[in-house]
This record gives sequence, C-alpha cells and structure tokens, in this order.
Amino acid sequence: MTMEKTPEPLENNSAELVIQTKGLTKRFLNVVANDNVSVDVRKGEIHCFLGENGAGKTTLAECLYGYYQPDGGQILFKGKPVKITSPNVAIKLGIGMVHQHFILIETLTVIENIVLGTEPMGLIPKLTEAEAKVQALCDTYGVDIDLKACIWQLSVGQQQWVEILKALYVGIDLLILDEPTAVLTPQESERLFEVLQQMKENGLSIIFITHKLKEVMRVSDRVTILRKGKLVDTVNTADMTREDLACMMVGREVVFRVAKDDVERGEPILKINDLHVKNDWDQGAICGIDLTLHKNEIVGVAGVGGNGQRELFEALVGIRKVEQGDVKMNGDSITHLSPRQIMAKGIGHVPEDRIRMGLIPDFSVAENLILGQHRDPPARKGLNIDSQYVKSFAEECVSDFDIATPSIEQQTQLLSGGNQQKVILARELNQKPRVILTNQPTRGLDVGVIEYVHGQLLEMRKEGVGILLFSEDLDEIMNLSDRIVVLFKGQIMGIFDSQEARVDEIGLLMAGVTEDDQ
Amino acid sequence: MNLLKNYRIEKRDHVSPLVLALSALVSLVAALMVTALLVTISGGDWKEAFSSLFGGAFGDKDAILETLVKSTPLILTGLAAAIAFRGKIWNIGAEGQLFAGAIGSYWAFVTFESLPTVPLLIIVFIAGCAAGGALGLLAGVLKAYFHVDEIITTVMTNYIVAYMLALILSGPWKEAGSVYRHTPALPDFVKLPIIVPGTRLNLGFILALLAAGLFYYLLKKTPLGYEIRALGSNPMASRFKGIAVSRTMITTLFISGAVAGMAGMIELFGSQYRIRMDLSTGYGFTGIIVALLGGLNPLAIIPAGIFFGGLINGSVRMQIFTKVPAALMSAVQAIILLFLLASQAIVRYRIRRVDDVD
Amino acid sequence: MLTDFLQTAIVISVLASTVRIATPLLLAALGELVTEKAGILNLGVEGTMLMGAFVSFLVANQTGSQWMGLLGAIVAGGVISLIMAFMSSTLKVDQVVTGLSINLLGSGVSLFWYRSAFPDFNLVAAELPTISVMEIIKIPLLSEIPFLGPILFSHRLLTYLAFLAVPAVWFFLYHTKYGLQIRGLGENPRAIDMKGLNVTRLQYLAAIFGGMMAALGGSFLTLGSTIRFFPEISAGRGWLAIVIVIAGNWRPARILIATLLFAFLDAFQLQVQGFGVQIPYQILLAMPYILAILVMMGGRLRSVAPRHLGIPYQRE
Repeated sequence: MTMEKTPEPLENNSAELVIQTKGLTKRFLNVVANDNVSVDVRKGEIHCFLGENGAGKTTLAECLYGYYQPDGGQILFKGKPVKITSPNVAIKLGIGMVHQHFILIETLTVIENIVLGTEPMGLIPKLTEAEAKVQALCDTYGVDIDLKACIWQLSVGQQQWVEILKALYVGIDLLILDEPTAVLTPQESERLFEVLQQMKENGLSIIFITHKLKEVMRVSDRVTILRKGKLVDTVNTADMTREDLACMMVGREVVFRVAKDDVERGEPILKINDLHVKNDWDQGAICGIDLTLHKNEIVGVAGVGGNGQRELFEALVGIRKVEQGDVKMNGDSITHLSPRQIMAKGIGHVPEDRIRMGLIPDFSVAENLILGQHRDPPARKGLNIDSQYVKSFAEECVSDFDIATPSIEQQTQLLSGGNQQKVILARELNQKPRVILTNQPTRGLDVGVIEYVHGQLLEMRKEGVGILLFSEDLDEIMNLSDRIVVLFKGQIMGIFDSQEARVDEIGLLMAGVTEDDQ
Repeated sequence: MNLLKNYRIEKRDHVSPLVLALSALVSLVAALMVTALLVTISGGDWKEAFSSLFGGAFGDKDAILETLVKSTPLILTGLAAAIAFRGKIWNIGAEGQLFAGAIGSYWAFVTFESLPTVPLLIIVFIAGCAAGGALGLLAGVLKAYFHVDEIITTVMTNYIVAYMLALILSGPWKEAGSVYRHTPALPDFVKLPIIVPGTRLNLGFILALLAAGLFYYLLKKTPLGYEIRALGSNPMASRFKGIAVSRTMITTLFISGAVAGMAGMIELFGSQYRIRMDLSTGYGFTGIIVALLGGLNPLAIIPAGIFFGGLINGSVRMQIFTKVPAALMSAVQAIILLFLLASQAIVRYRIRRVDDVD
Repeated sequence: MLTDFLQTAIVISVLASTVRIATPLLLAALGELVTEKAGILNLGVEGTMLMGAFVSFLVANQTGSQWMGLLGAIVAGGVISLIMAFMSSTLKVDQVVTGLSINLLGSGVSLFWYRSAFPDFNLVAAELPTISVMEIIKIPLLSEIPFLGPILFSHRLLTYLAFLAVPAVWFFLYHTKYGLQIRGLGENPRAIDMKGLNVTRLQYLAAIFGGMMAALGGSFLTLGSTIRFFPEISAGRGWLAIVIVIAGNWRPARILIATLLFAFLDAFQLQVQGFGVQIPYQILLAMPYILAILVMMGGRLRSVAPRHLGIPYQRE
C-alpha cells in the first residue's frame, strides 16, 4: 500500500479503524510502563498521545512498532489481530515511526539511509530508481534536501525530514511521530503541522506523541491521555480546553506559569567577552559572543540544539578549550582554568545528560554527592576519605532535597530520572555556588519534579546567584528567565528582556532569520 | 519454537554478589569439564590427569607451599591488571613490565653490589618497581598526550622488552662460559629470605599479600582510589567534576606497571635467582585472568592467584606422571576465563513468562 | 654500503619480500576491517592467526594435503570467531576482555595441542614434524616482466588471494547491499535494528568472515613460509593487523598502504641483517612494534572509527 493511491474523501467520524489495542500491558523489570491500555486510531485522523514524561506514550508506540513486545493484551491492525514481533513486521504492515532521537547513520547519505533494508534492493543496489521516487515525495510536500548529502551535513530539521521520508518511501498507512517538535523552531513546527494535514488529506493516519498541550489543540482530531501508564481517556480535541487536558494529564489542577518573584538584578558577576570555541570536529561552534550575567538573575539561552549550547556550556565549565576571548568572574579571568579551579571559584553546573555527564552510575548516592569534593576536607581526612562525614552529608542531602532512594548506598543508575537530578542539584547547591550553569534541567522529568527544579532555581536567584539557563524548551525559558538570549550557529541573535519577548520573534531568531530578512 | 514464544529474556536490575560467586563456581566446573574433554580427545586419561594435577597443587604440605611460591607473581600481576582495569585502563603489558622489573632490579644489584644486604635489597626492590612503573608511565603518557591506545602500547612493549632481553642475555649479561642464555646465578646474600625452612616459600609471598592489602585500602578508602573507580565508570562525568583524567590515568598505569615490576624482582630474587628468557611463562597474562576471576577485588585476587598457582604447580607433576603436557594449563586458563565471562553475562538476565490475553 | 644496497637485485629482493610478508597482515587486517565496520572490536586476531597457523600445519602434516590444511585453518578461524561473536553479540560481554581471552585461548590450545600431537619433547631439530611449503606460482607472461615480474607475479596462491581481497572487500562494502548494512551497523546499530534488519546475524557473519581471514593469514605463516611450526609463530602480527586497520582509517586502500609500510620495514630489516650491520638483530626485529606505536601517535586517527565500535548493542 503506497502513498500514490488516489485520495478518497474521508469523513472525520469514519468508524474504520486502522489500529487498535485491547488491554495492552508492558512491563520493564518492576515498572509497569503500560497498564491495560485500550486505544484506537481511526483511518485518516491525526491522533495525539498526550502525557507527561514517563506516562508511557513512547512505550505504547514502540509496541505498535514492534520494537517492544507487550506482556499482555492484543493489537489489531485493520481489524485483524496481529503480533508485531519486530519493526520489520510493522513496516510490512504499513506502520512507520519517526523517533524522538533520530536513528540515522551519519556517515551515509540521505538516499542510503532511506533505501537501507528495503526490498527490493538487489545485491548491488541501483539507487537511481529510488532517488526518483524519493524526489517525487519531496516535491509533493515541498521539501528541499540534497539526496546525496551525508546526514551529518544536514540541519536538524532536514534530518527529521529524512526520518519521515524513510517511512513514506516504503509506503505506510500509519505514521507515528514521537515528540517531533522538540528539535524544531516554532516556524518549522508550524510547517510540519501543515504537512501533516496534507498527509492526512492523502489518507494517511497519524499518531502524534507529545507532552505539549498547544500542539494537541493545534493539530489533532482526537487525543488519548495517558498518566503513569494507565489510560485516562480518549476524547475529541474539539470538545476540550487546554485546562481540561492538563488536568487529565497530571491529575490535578496545573499552574501554568511559575510564580516568579520580583527580584532586583544585582551587579555583574560573570562577563563573557568575544568568546570563540570549537566543536569536536574542529569547526567553530561559538563564534564571538558577548554576554554578562548578573547576580539575582536568570538568563535563558534559547535555541534549537546543536547551535553551540553544548560547546559554550563545556567551555564555561572548563572542559573545552577557549580559542579566543575571555571569561571573567568578579574581574578575575577564569578563561583557561581547569574544571577544579572553576568549581573552586564558585561556579556550579547541572549538565544536560544526567547519567552520562552528571553522575557516576556505579557509585552510590553517597559517593556521588561528594564527587568533585572528594579531595578536599571535610570529605577528606588525612589520607582517606572520611566515610563518617560522607554518610552524614548524604543523609542530610536526601532529606533536604527529598530524594527517593531505598538507601544512600543505592547505585544512582537505579534511581529515577527525577531523583538523579535531585542528587545533582543537592551536590551542586551544597557548594553554595555564586553562578549556576544549567543545561536542559528538566528534560525527561515529570511535572512534579519540573516544578521542584524550577522552584530551586528561582530560590537560588532570590539568594543572589546568577543562573545561566540553556534550554530547548521555549516555555521554560519564557517562564523562568529575566533576560532571554537567542543562540544560532554560535552567535547571539538577540537579547531580550523577558517581559518584552515575543515567541514569534524569538522563533524567527532561533531559525537564524534576522530583522533584515524579515 | 512455540515453547519459546511464551518466554522473554529480560535484564535483572541487580545481581547479588552471592549469585556472582556462584556463577564463578559454575563456570569453573564447566571449564574443567571442557578441559577433561580436551584431555580425552588428545589421548590422555582425564581422571589421572586431574588427580595428579590437584595432588601436585594441594595434595600435601610441600605441594601447598610450592603452590604459594608459584602464586606470588600471579597475585602481583593480578593486582597490576586489577587496579588498571578498575579504571577501565587496559594494561596488557604486565608481562613486559615484569621482565622490566627483573632487568631493572638486576641492574641495580650489579651496580650496588658492594652494599650490605638490607639496603641493597631495598634499592633492588625500588629499582624493580621503578622499571616496571616506567613502562606503565610511558603507556600513560602516550595515551594522555598522544592518544595512543594503552592496549597497543603495552602489547607492543611486551614484544620490544622481549627482544631487548634477548639482546642483553646474549651479550653483556650472559653468564660467561655458559651455553645457556642466562645471567649468572645470584649470590646467597642477596636472595630473599626463606620463611618456611626447607621450602622455597620466601618473603616475596608476604610482600604480595601486603601489596594486596595496600591496593584494597587504596581503592576503597583513598581519593585516588575514588578517582580511579570514577574514571572506570564514567570518564566524562569525572572530567566535568574536576578529576584530572590524564593525571589519574598516568598514575594508575605507573602503579600498575610498578607492581608488575615488583613481580619480576621477586621472581628473580625470590625463586629463580637467574634471568632467563622464560623467567615468566605468561604470568602477565595469567594475571589478567586472576584479576577477572577475583572480580577486580584485591583481596579476592589472593585466593584466585593461589588457585592458578596451584594449577601451574600441579601441571608439572601431571606432565611427569601422565604425559599430558603442562601446556594444558595455558589452554585451561583461557577456557576458565571464557566461561567466567559468559556466566557473568548470563546471570545478568532472567527468563520471564509472558501472559497472553488472547 | 648504500651503493650495495641499491643494486637492482637487492631492491627486487626486498620489494618481493615486502609483498610476501604483507600477505598474512593483509588478510588479517581486511578481515578485521569488516568485523570492525560491523561494530565488533575483535582483539583476538593474534590468537586466531595462531590457531590458523597451527591447525593448517597439523592437518597438512597428518593428511599430507595443503588444501586440507587451508580448509582446516578456515574452519578453525570460523569456530574461534563464532565464540567471539557469541560472547560479543549475543551475551554482550565486554569486547576487549573477550578478545584477550580469545588470544589466550589460541595461544594455549595451539601450544597444548602441538605438544600432545607431537609428544617427543626432546627431538633434535631435524626430527621435528614438518610439512611441505606451498609452491610459488609464477603467473605466465607477467612474471617475465623485468623488475615487476619477480616482485608482483611470482608468489604463492595466498599472496595473490590477499591482494585480490583488497578490491573485493572494497566492492563488497561500498557497492553491495550487505556491505551497506554492515557499514551502517558499526555507526548506528539502532538504525539497522529499526529497519527490521537482524543486527545479531550481521555481526556474526562479519565476525566469522574476519576470523576466517585471520586464520588464513595465519596459515600462510606455516603453509606459505616454513616447514615447521613453533609456538607463538604469529609473533604479534595479529596485533599489527589491528594497528593497520586504525592506521588505514578503516578504508581498504589505505589499509593496503599501511600493510605495505610495515611489511617493507620487516623486509628491509631482514636484508640489513644479511649485511652484517653492527645493529644487533634484536633491535631490528623490534622495529615493527616500535613503528606501530609511532604510527598510532599520529593524531586524530581514531576519530573516523565506526561510531559504535566495541559497544554492545541492546534494545533498551
């Protein structure tokens, strides 16, 4: 079944179902990710799976795609019970999926990525036929990509298109998209929504996974709300308000804007001057930025991932070399100091990947809490690490920060994401930093922990700390920041006072569209 | 296949040390079974072979004491491997570092021969450790500043050291007038004291035990040990939080090389009293197996080292009485290691029944 | 001395030796290339080569047939790499440690088996077991070409095979369906898995190919070189093959160049030994290993490694 069939006009309330689950259950170790979930998706509709992080939406989709096998329940595709034992089976049925983290092979070309594993591709693949077919799809949806380019040469938005083309190329009836707008600018997201509408009119059914209410309201016909693995309800979007959905998603009244106290901005504490930093491939990642961070303020760095945020963060922490320019704290240059020296100056950080960058997975909670302080008193006494101190410090942190763990000896890799983040916060905040650098602080966390983290940051702000917040979540930036800085291809496109900032203006800058272009 | 449809393999979240120890035992048994098969295929009688093997290893007091002698270098090379592996630093060069230690300590002996015994032995000991440590240091520096994989460096230096040894044993250090390529025998006053009269059990064994204790303390209690373990678990987070990764790597490789060098010095001054090309018959590599069998825990390495020391000791008697070549032990240790690795991997999973609501 | 050395006959001899010496290295390196492209870091090449050398020797000695010997080597290589594939791909054991174990296994089993099969330990050199070495096959016409003839076209079968394998492997990797899948596998196994392809099966096939090639390379050390076997005959060549893959940036043509470089050094030092130069032969023998370290010092070699090399793949 391909996309090229003649489109038939479909009524919105057609009872024809393309896919259905009955009592689907999926467990991981002791966690029930999906608990007796029954949903259905109609032909020719855009159906959202809504829920906070950890609600089970991705897991459900992966069961439909054959990546996971359900532990209980049934899946019916076009009315017939099926066992989707692998993505291969799903593809053959006509189900395609675009994952949140792209699964592209960076060193291969666009066309190679699309064509890999498809039949019929003979022993010696002839790519010209495939190229023509893909080009036709590109023309249909107004997509402009060089099929012979390697993936690493493309922008994030273009890479997402390769993911979509992968699915369309093999011909599908159902397309699943997992948080597709996480990596797009507001304008690119809007473009995507238009394309999805076009696809829907061509007869495609779409499952759109998201935790963003705005998107649900904008794009879906119906929405299924999941909470902690269980189905809450499936409703017609037209009958709902944002507040209704939020309530169902979280189970209680949700406050949309965090209460931010009016705090007067203090003196400058961190001055970044004409900073140049290279990325891992020796190219310029930060190309001359000037920024001043003050006490009692949160500066939010907005931007799509991959525009230099990581390199800037790493340069400020001290693990990446500064090629040119300098960074001064309270007048002292910290540009070429080691991470240890920078920590000693009072700069704390919360990295973007908890497990890969922030914690030692095999170490216990207690051991992780002294990471970075293990060489100095009080953690060190004489030649040894003072285990008494470590124990009491850990117990204090666990209670102060409400860290849910069976014991302080528990390995941190076994904690939930939210508790891992709390360990990192406890560790950093206990050093009484004067500057905090935080990168994607609430990525992958559920609403409760998000509120907690935001609360902590605002508390620090009140106490005189200067916070540099990197986030791809524009809402988070708008909510928390006093000033907003837009980063695009290593340069600052604009600095705004948060009161005056407008989403559409920021969105354009995030995409590199300057005032001259507008 | 229908039977398997209702079962799923999934990962356990936590494996208890008891299960791990049990799986180590099971893997030992499985490895011995494969070994028996190997012996049988090659025409030997496995029952005879095993009985003379274990008799020679632990059968009587003399056997046990000799086993302890043979286990000394293995405990030390095991420690060398363990401390490096804890930091995910792959020191495969314990063999070469051991020889370097023997060479360095012998050179020190020859240079300071006129000193009284105790200071001489101390200098010789330090020289042995320093020589091994220097090779480790080289590997560390090459890795930290030139990005050369320590596996490549240490493996290559094994070969280089072997050739250098052949060179000096053919010429400058060769015992005058001998057909064999070895150094002259060490005089009695410089040999390590025997601690059980009538046997070959010498001070070296005690030093090995002390080293194990020291390493245990180092890893568990000191900031350096903390950093080595952190590095082994997550080098990126370690770097973020101020651990000087390069410096820690170099220090670890130095210590690792030094204790392997110690093994060389002890083998020379404690048991063999001459440097020959076969001063070590793969002790550096056996040390890796000892380390893994001991779970990279310095204290557990002591019994693991004794076990392998027993195998090596017993294989001599086995060869004499049953004609099964002692070389069997080279095969056995690899088989044990493979089964051990496999069993450790297998216990991380369990089989779960799947309910189907059809 | 330099003028002696530059005499044509000597140059021809050295270059011909280079081609010959390159044979086992090239076979092993190309095999390891495919294995690593699929994401498996197989450090057990040395042990596999050794087993290839020994098994081919044993089989040739017992059956009198060189072809059987080659077959034996291929089977041995397949079996050993099957173990490697099982441990790495199925059980997902750490690949570095597994590779080292395979080396120890190859070392130990070949030594033990040799001693068992030929139990009289005190044999005088002339009584040690032997085999007959493969014949040199001179390619008609081409081997008559002055200078190039003896260098390129008067070699044993395995040598021709090794050099033909270079374009063959290149074509396989860059112009066939399975080559594309393998290249993708080492970079991003999840992408391959999501395409519905069988990651495990591809890794097994790649590993087994690598093992067979390494064993063939090892068989050259006996069948193609010398009438006798001695323990550790591979002398680190398996490790050199691994270095060659890195130095060659995981590309067949560059791997060929790197191999020729190492082989030339070896051929050169052999020739120099013959001149009675004052440098002790042990230092000359150590040169390839020193070169390996020097080669690896060359900067950002590792950055083009397959992204997922050595990391076991698991569906989360």
